[in-house]
Amino acid sequence: MNPLQLLGGLGRFSLFCWTFFKAAIGRRPPAGKVMGEAYSIGVRSLPILMVIAIFVGTNLTLQGYYAFQPIGGQNLVGMFVGLAGVRELAPIIAASMVAAKAGTHMASQVAVMRSREQIDALEVMGVNAHWYLITPRFLGIMLVMPALTTLAIFGMLASSYGVAVHQLGLNGTEFLEFVRAATESRDLIICNIKALFFGAVICLVCCYNGFNSEPGPKGVGNATNRAVVTAAVSCVLLNYLISEIAYA
Amino acid sequence: MTTPANTPVIQFQNVSKSFGDHLVLDDVSFSFPKGQTTAIIGHSGAGKSVILKHIAGLMKPDAGQVVVLGCDIAQADPKEIRATRKRMGMLFQNGALFDSMTVGENVAFPLVHHHRKMPASELQGRVEEALKEVELPGFQNRPVVKLSGGQRKRVGLARALITRPELVLFDEPNSGLDPVTSQAIDELTIHLKGLLGISFVVISHDIVGSLKVADRLGMLYQGKLIEYHEVSRFIQSENPVVKAFLQRNVKLPTGGLPELSDIIVADKAGVDR
Repeated sequence: MNPLQLLGGLGRFSLFCWTFFKAAIGRRPPAGKVMGEAYSIGVRSLPILMVIAIFVGTNLTLQGYYAFQPIGGQNLVGMFVGLAGVRELAPIIAASMVAAKAGTHMASQVAVMRSREQIDALEVMGVNAHWYLITPRFLGIMLVMPALTTLAIFGMLASSYGVAVHQLGLNGTEFLEFVRAATESRDLIICNIKALFFGAVICLVCCYNGFNSEPGPKGVGNATNRAVVTAAVSCVLLNYLISEIAYA
Repeated sequence: MTTPANTPVIQFQNVSKSFGDHLVLDDVSFSFPKGQTTAIIGHSGAGKSVILKHIAGLMKPDAGQVVVLGCDIAQADPKEIRATRKRMGMLFQNGALFDSMTVGENVAFPLVHHHRKMPASELQGRVEEALKEVELPGFQNRPVVKLSGGQRKRVGLARALITRPELVLFDEPNSGLDPVTSQAIDELTIHLKGLLGISFVVISHDIVGSLKVADRLGMLYQGKLIEYHEVSRFIQSENPVVKAFLQRNVKLPTGGLPELSDIIVADKAGVDR
């Protein structure tokens, strides 16, 4: 992709977002759909997110322990997990899993609707398709992203504690003291702000790709693939930007 | 707001549309009278669906003017286009029904969104009436996924008619249907036109069905409207492409269809509007 194509794509995406916000702001979302979407996104993403968060927590602990042990700093594992996990890894893992599970579902669902002319049908019936299709998904993901990220933090810290105390024989109270020393409530707030931004990006990127899907199975597949890759890369870039602004 | 009796429901004035280098509509002009069924026929890829998408306001022309129910689609803002769409209905090629809903929910969809305060009993009554009109009484609670192709078209038609629109668009109403179901859909179209007295626009490559349902016929070929008349006059056309299309079981001249430059093209003045 050359820079001109990238600029063109960014322009089209911005226009899409503008169209959506214009259609959605000041208007009630379609009745009875937001909670359904929130439930669906949360339930779909939670099991895999917890598995990943738990094992990221165990591995962070092991790596931290073996890195700090030669210099006698193995007790700093709690601080290491607190800093890396809460500040950076939990939100990005939650975003990746939501993009992989709920994001692909969103993109493919909207792409199939495009392919089957259901989006055209909405427009012809005088229903704003941006409002009808994106608003519930957008609000749904915004509702669950902070909760999923908080659960990911909990899963990561719990597994880290388990490995540190029961496998590596570290002192549990000391471990928790170091976690507390490394993280403040401000970190949790920033972490949840990140989650909100990631949720918005995942929803808009996935719906944009679904809306602009080519017809047929190949088109739906390509749109879904493009959606999840773009959403994941965007979240990683955004994570860096927010961290830079918040912690610089 | 309704259009006066003598005003055409749709007017295309020198409309052109391209996709990249491919010119799909080339300076097309016509008007569709009110209260009649007008069919546009042509080969696959002739630009029929593009015409329909212009009428539905899903596309804007590169050049020219498209006026539908008094609204200039190229100039109108999204709000005006949406208001115009509320006065029309459309039957999509595959029905475009929402699979997660029941038949009744699909049919009620436009009413639910445009008449939020309509009592549930009235809504139910309107759905029942619409399903009766398309000969599917008692289908309200059926899941859409369990419908046959013909039934999906009928449900799509009920959804298009439930708001009592002034104009109904049909995109390939017979595609993918067996001859018997196809004939049933044609008969239903004729019956509904008589019953409701609204304007129908049919886009099709099925000449038999189009001759049956239409009052006026137009033929698109290589982006041009090469013939557009009342059915009785259309079938007497001397245009070789139209003749070949009409006698679809007769072999085409050697070398396939002639080039556009070799055939009679109805110019703007010559088109029977």
